[in-house]
Amino acid sequence: MRSFRLAVRLARRNLRRRPAQAALLLLTLTLATGMFGVGMALYGSADGPWDRVWAATDGFHVSAAYYRGRDADRADVDLDAARARFAELAAAPEVRAVGGPWTHLYGLLDVAGGTEDLTAEIRDLGRSPVDQPLVTAGSWLSAGSDGVVLEQGLADALDVGPGDTIRVQGHQLAVRGVAMTVSRGRFPLSRPAQIWITPTTGEALRRIGLTEEGLEMQLRLHDPDDAEAFATAHEAIEGRGETSALFLDTWRRRRADSHSDIDILAGTVFAAGTLIGLLTVATAAVIVGGRMAAQTRQIGTLKAVGVTPRQVVLALLVENLALAGLATLVGLGAGRMVAPRLAEVSQTVLGRPETPTLTWGRAAVVAGVAAAVVVLATVRPAVRGLRHSTVRSLASGARPPRGPGHRTRWAATAGLPLVAVLGLRSARRRPARLLTNAVGLSLAVALIVVAAGLRPSLNRLAAVGSAPAQPGEALSAGAVDHLYEAVRAIVLGTAGLLLVLATVNALIIAALAARDSARNHATLRALGATPRQTVATLIVSQLGACLLAVALGLPLGLGLWSVMDGGDLPPVPVPATTLLAIAAVVPLGFAALVAVPARRWARRPPARVLTYE
Amino acid sequence: MSAPGGRPVVEATGLTRIYAADGVAVRAVDGVDLAVEAGETVSVMGPSGCGKSSLLHLLGGLDRADAGEIVLDGRRVEGLSETSWAVLRRRTIGFVFQSFNLVDELTAVENVELPALLVGASARRARHRAVELLERLGVADRRDHMPDRLSGGESQRVAVARALINDPLLILADEPTGNLDSRATGEILRLFADLRASGQSLLVVTHDARVASTADRLLTMRDGAVIGHTHLGGVAPVGSVLAGLADFGDAGGAR
Amino acid sequence: MRDPILALLAKEPAHGYELRQRLVQALGPPGRALNPGQVYVTLGRLVKAGLVAVEQVGQSSHPDKKVYELTAAGRDRVAEWLADLSWPKVTPTDFHLKLIAAAVAGLADPVALIDAQRHELLRQLREVQEAILVEPPDSRGGLLLEGAALRLQADIRWLEVCEQRWLDWSIR
Repeated sequence: MRSFRLAVRLARRNLRRRPAQAALLLLTLTLATGMFGVGMALYGSADGPWDRVWAATDGFHVSAAYYRGRDADRADVDLDAARARFAELAAAPEVRAVGGPWTHLYGLLDVAGGTEDLTAEIRDLGRSPVDQPLVTAGSWLSAGSDGVVLEQGLADALDVGPGDTIRVQGHQLAVRGVAMTVSRGRFPLSRPAQIWITPTTGEALRRIGLTEEGLEMQLRLHDPDDAEAFATAHEAIEGRGETSALFLDTWRRRRADSHSDIDILAGTVFAAGTLIGLLTVATAAVIVGGRMAAQTRQIGTLKAVGVTPRQVVLALLVENLALAGLATLVGLGAGRMVAPRLAEVSQTVLGRPETPTLTWGRAAVVAGVAAAVVVLATVRPAVRGLRHSTVRSLASGARPPRGPGHRTRWAATAGLPLVAVLGLRSARRRPARLLTNAVGLSLAVALIVVAAGLRPSLNRLAAVGSAPAQPGEALSAGAVDHLYEAVRAIVLGTAGLLLVLATVNALIIAALAARDSARNHATLRALGATPRQTVATLIVSQLGACLLAVALGLPLGLGLWSVMDGGDLPPVPVPATTLLAIAAVVPLGFAALVAVPARRWARRPPARVLTYE
Repeated sequence: MSAPGGRPVVEATGLTRIYAADGVAVRAVDGVDLAVEAGETVSVMGPSGCGKSSLLHLLGGLDRADAGEIVLDGRRVEGLSETSWAVLRRRTIGFVFQSFNLVDELTAVENVELPALLVGASARRARHRAVELLERLGVADRRDHMPDRLSGGESQRVAVARALINDPLLILADEPTGNLDSRATGEILRLFADLRASGQSLLVVTHDARVASTADRLLTMRDGAVIGHTHLGGVAPVGSVLAGLADFGDAGGAR
Repeated sequence: MRDPILALLAKEPAHGYELRQRLVQALGPPGRALNPGQVYVTLGRLVKAGLVAVEQVGQSSHPDKKVYELTAAGRDRVAEWLADLSWPKVTPTDFHLKLIAAAVAGLADPVALIDAQRHELLRQLREVQEAILVEPPDSRGGLLLEGAALRLQADIRWLEVCEQRWLDWSIR
């Protein structure tokens, strides 16, 4: 316990002494938790409204629908069989209430620019015990009027309301009301469009040529949990035509399918969050590693106070987990604030999206992300810190050349300029550091590859979305565009963010490398190396890690891309020219990044660096 | 190596270095005049914080003077750029530091040959000379060791070898025995005596009287200024410890 | 000188000449400056005190030719001396009083006195170190010189402290 309290004190001291590093770590952690927070808040934000409408309309537990194929030329034989089957279903003991069966007429709605597929559901007058649509404007069907009721999505798409008219295959119909239901998805993401009509209107429409194509019945059971079993048990229908089928659906399934665009958005955000999380791990590992290196320099003084390396590592964990906790809170908060705005893009939500209540489970997911990042980032320095207990081993000790063979190796490099020789020796003698930096950078490179592949994919997607409208799709064709715009925005934003993070990552690595070698390079300058020579030496020594990173990162990025490909984005291979460009630009860019802090150090008079502790 | 003619190897006039510490200007080096003649050993003593290390840094171009002149090997150098200083240092100055400052990524011999490589010597020649020096200083068997495996005395001898490899005009030593035990100190003293015998010009900053007393001239500093200047070499002590050693009397002896 | 000479006879009796040799070897180069007369005077006193017995060999009465030997009392004394822990005086009391007297009477500046003394000791130290360099690194005489050098170093250090302290006092 005493150990823990000491760790807490050490952690507080460290946070106070280097607030900039802590802030940077917090920022990167918050990006990851923020993404996950938004995703978690988004996911399920359609459920509240759906439940409300379901309750208000006495929604179904089991929905039975029968569709006769369009080209069936048989008479009402199958329809009769369907009706008989429906009667059986209605009589089942589990059933408590029945709505319908209602006849569906299929036709075409006249809209600007063409036609749109339409289903007209013939309802009896009076309130249905199951699935009585919730009127949001105007009023429901009535005996004395020929007016029809439009589904809310359709009304919004057409921009009509009670008192306006619509035309079905030339025939004018008055709009009497607008209503919501859960038995259909919302137009235009759910097709075909739906209106409710009286039997009289139905006759009129049959006369102008609409054909009878289907039958629908909605059931409420005594026990809602029986729905699945009921549906499975009663699925088959015996009919004579293969084009006929009886569809049984449960309320839970319908509910889950009802918000596909929210799902896509949430999925995109989660994917983005994962990628950012990966890069955050790399960035955090570099920051933490640099922190450890700085602390081991003070370990002499710490030891004098009675602090062991194990306690230093514990303090590190405490400190970073505290930051993770803070990032979690911010992420959850961001989620609740940003998600509703994002969800408003949705066209499937029945009403305003509602952020689901924050459960411990959801919070745990976000916290888990932050904790995972911290633990992964702290693992290596922690293991090293625990394994070694002497100052000498904790400081990143350089490895001596191996055996007599080194002499010939050295001779081989004799032809190279001094700068190259020094840089290469420096890199070769610290293989562990080279590897860490390479891994961190390779992750950045991989994500640059992913970012590079995103743009052409999105363009491909846009092309698909903007295919010319088929007949019967005049209105709904453009519906997906709205969604894809949102996805595109998120994806491009993420790509940009990834590039920024990758640059930050590389910058930190470069800065730490420059700082770590500052003392050696000051010595070099005391011996007569010019500032330019020391900068060049640093660049050469870091270049190894960078080239390794490119070699690892390119295939890693391609691999990540193919994994992500399981989503809705069409697979587009990243062109070879792009890969070559990345392979060329990254080392050059990294060299430039390394040069910046290196030159800052190189401009200081050597005395100040040599006596600086 | 001695400079041609009778001119001093290095001569400084009015050397000043001011630091800002907590908003107060501290005169680390305050108008110091000094010169080191060819083949001479000069030592600078003073309490810690008196500015002797800063003075050394200024003379070697490791820090920039705020005022004053430095003439090194007949050339005005106090305004030189970092790069020019670096090139000048290669052939002219050898540094020996209190904490050795060996490059921790290079072996002992690689450390020693570094200045030679910097002046453009071939790799083979540099290596040859480095090994030669290491042998002369008695650390040849440590040549392939990394600095963290060397003892204090060995490290400092490697550092001295490194300082000597380009036959510098002047060796600047900053507390060369500061981190050494008495045995290693004795080794370094022997080394410096050899260097003096071969005509090397030396400026040694130290608080160790044993090191300071070997100099031909002694400067004493306090608060950035030189407050005392004596000749040690060529002036015989009044009393002699050596004579007195055999002069042990009956005090504390038999009853 | 009495106790060391007694101790040097502990192993076996010796001629005066041999005794001098033993001393010279033990002291190293300073030993060469040893005054032979002092050795014989001391021997005489020891004989008188009954700690050493002398035997004449041959006809000459030259001290070199006499053989000296420890008596029982002499042996006891040697044992006593070996176990004795007293150390030659380490505090420079004289100098300390000199400074105070100079300051109190206004006769001289203590800081100037310290400075001069310091330089003198540095020169003495220089001389000792030059002698050390001549000695082979592991010699016994060299060890003695090391001791001299270190004590001078310590004294010089004390003088530096004195200088700082006396300066502070003079400012107030």
